[in-house]
Amino acid sequence: MQPIVYTIEKPDIAKWLERLLETAEVIAPVAGYSGEVVFSAISSPAQVLWDFENPLHPAKQFVLPQTDPIVAIKRNGQRHEVEPIYDDSRRVLFNVRSCDVKGIAFLTRMQEMEPADGSYLRRAYSLTVISLTCNTPCPLGFCVCTDSGPFLNGDYDIQLTDLGGKYLAEVGSEKGEAAVSNAANLFRTATEGEVSLRKRLETAARNRFGQETCHFASAMRRISTGRVQDALWEKISDWCLECGGCSLICPTCYCFSVRDRARDGNWIRYRIWDSCQYTAFTLEASGHNPHEQRKDRIKRRFFHKVSAQYYMRDGTVGCVGCGRCIKVCLGTADMPAVVAAIRKGKWHE
Amino acid sequence: MNDVFLPHVARIVEVWDDTPDTKTFTLSLRDSKDFRFLPGQFLEVSVFGYGEAPFCIASSPTRPDTLQATVRRTGQLTDALHELGNGDEVGIRGPFGNGFDVEGARGKDLLFVGGGIGLPPLRSFIWNVLYERDHFGKVTILYGARTPTDLVYKDELKAWAKRSDVEFHVTVDRAEPGWTGNVGMVPVLFEKTALRPDSTLAYVCGPPIMIKFVVQDLFVRGFKDEAVISTLERMMQCGIGKCNHCAIGHRYVCRDGPVFNYKQIRELVE
Repeated sequence: MQPIVYTIEKPDIAKWLERLLETAEVIAPVAGYSGEVVFSAISSPAQVLWDFENPLHPAKQFVLPQTDPIVAIKRNGQRHEVEPIYDDSRRVLFNVRSCDVKGIAFLTRMQEMEPADGSYLRRAYSLTVISLTCNTPCPLGFCVCTDSGPFLNGDYDIQLTDLGGKYLAEVGSEKGEAAVSNAANLFRTATEGEVSLRKRLETAARNRFGQETCHFASAMRRISTGRVQDALWEKISDWCLECGGCSLICPTCYCFSVRDRARDGNWIRYRIWDSCQYTAFTLEASGHNPHEQRKDRIKRRFFHKVSAQYYMRDGTVGCVGCGRCIKVCLGTADMPAVVAAIRKGKWHE
Repeated sequence: MNDVFLPHVARIVEVWDDTPDTKTFTLSLRDSKDFRFLPGQFLEVSVFGYGEAPFCIASSPTRPDTLQATVRRTGQLTDALHELGNGDEVGIRGPFGNGFDVEGARGKDLLFVGGGIGLPPLRSFIWNVLYERDHFGKVTILYGARTPTDLVYKDELKAWAKRSDVEFHVTVDRAEPGWTGNVGMVPVLFEKTALRPDSTLAYVCGPPIMIKFVVQDLFVRGFKDEAVISTLERMMQCGIGKCNHCAIGHRYVCRDGPVFNYKQIRELVE
């Protein structure tokens, strides 16, 4: 749709949030119990953080929960009835960063591939994503390398930019338009000056990434043609402790397993997050395991995220440059470190 | 939008023991009868309360009223499945995977080479061929297992051995008292039969080590990469290329496979 650009004065944001809260669950970055920033449902606009460090757990949990009920299995003696479980309740994801918006868009594209996963898509299509651009890059982010920030050209429903005393609100979808028209009196059409200020802010933000260089292309060439030595994978894997944290906090990781859990004499079947970094991920019933060695699992992870084969299929690399894997990795097997090692053909010592 | 994870309920209508740790289950869909599949395709079978696991369809697509799966006890889910009997219910999703190209095999000579529990997917194809026998050339079945006890479908093996329109040989790695047949790994059976590599498609299914030796032997005997067809084994969960357990490079065994010829197998990058 033709982008429509509005502005909203900062004091009016609380009123807008009140309106949104009337019809939907609103999820936003808030201060957690021990001061860390987390995404959580809010009950009052005052809870919403505006100047915050991006939460360690990405917003993917609101489209792909860690334990996601998909089928109800009811038993009556020998007889069983199975029903799909849907979650299409209305949610608004508020003040989410550009990288997480791209992450959710990526997951949705994966689940839209035939056969489309209705369980995921019902939840995703019920979600309105209102993002906040990053006027200042975050310390570990490299979204400029993955085309996923600091400002976006699409994939959001509404994109907010801090212009000082007001926010610019770019509407990117019908869901976004609905969220604005819900409180139309608070918004006015943006002026040309406001739009050009946003562009200057974007340029300034991009420039503040400084000497950040992006090596995905050269890493992709090597990884796609099998030109990464086994010895290098081995060295990289020495810096992995197999915790799986990188997969759990990655906005684009969606590998899963399926488990049944008993509830009230019946069962709920859950889709649960899994990680290709765990030994048992590829363990077959016979005991054979094609990825028994850690270096094979590391190779698998980066082949999926960086290879040209997947790039051709998915249209992007499997990374949104949020930098969370840098933070969570107990070793140094994070995306920038591995991409740099593959490009150079050697691991940092 | 599909309920891609919603299983159909199926009833177990027959169970037989194949070996001390392997049973064949015959399933009938409880609520709908329209279920078409190809040999080589597989099902995700739910044992309610335990989850799902993939099993190849062991019965012929020319008899779609019931589905058979031959299951070895190897873990919690298969333990629980082995406890079930007639009238008990399971869930099935599928059929998944590409399956064998039955149409492309018409008019050709067919060589089936199975090892141990690798016979079930071939059995689906073999019965398909035997029910439509006139459409195919010479049919040769070679089968091996570790011991005579480990042979599956023992009654059917006898029936195949008696048929005049099928050449059938069986061997075991280790004989047991009462065994008077061949002893040795599957490739010893190649000496018993006249192979025609130019007109034959070879279908090989079994444990990885058996596949390795059989395939090497076939290439030595003049088979081309495209004429040697196998099924790849990977841990599979969703069956629809989404959960990523069975990925080899950017291919998914559950969607792009599990049936590949050796030309395709050599192109898989990982």
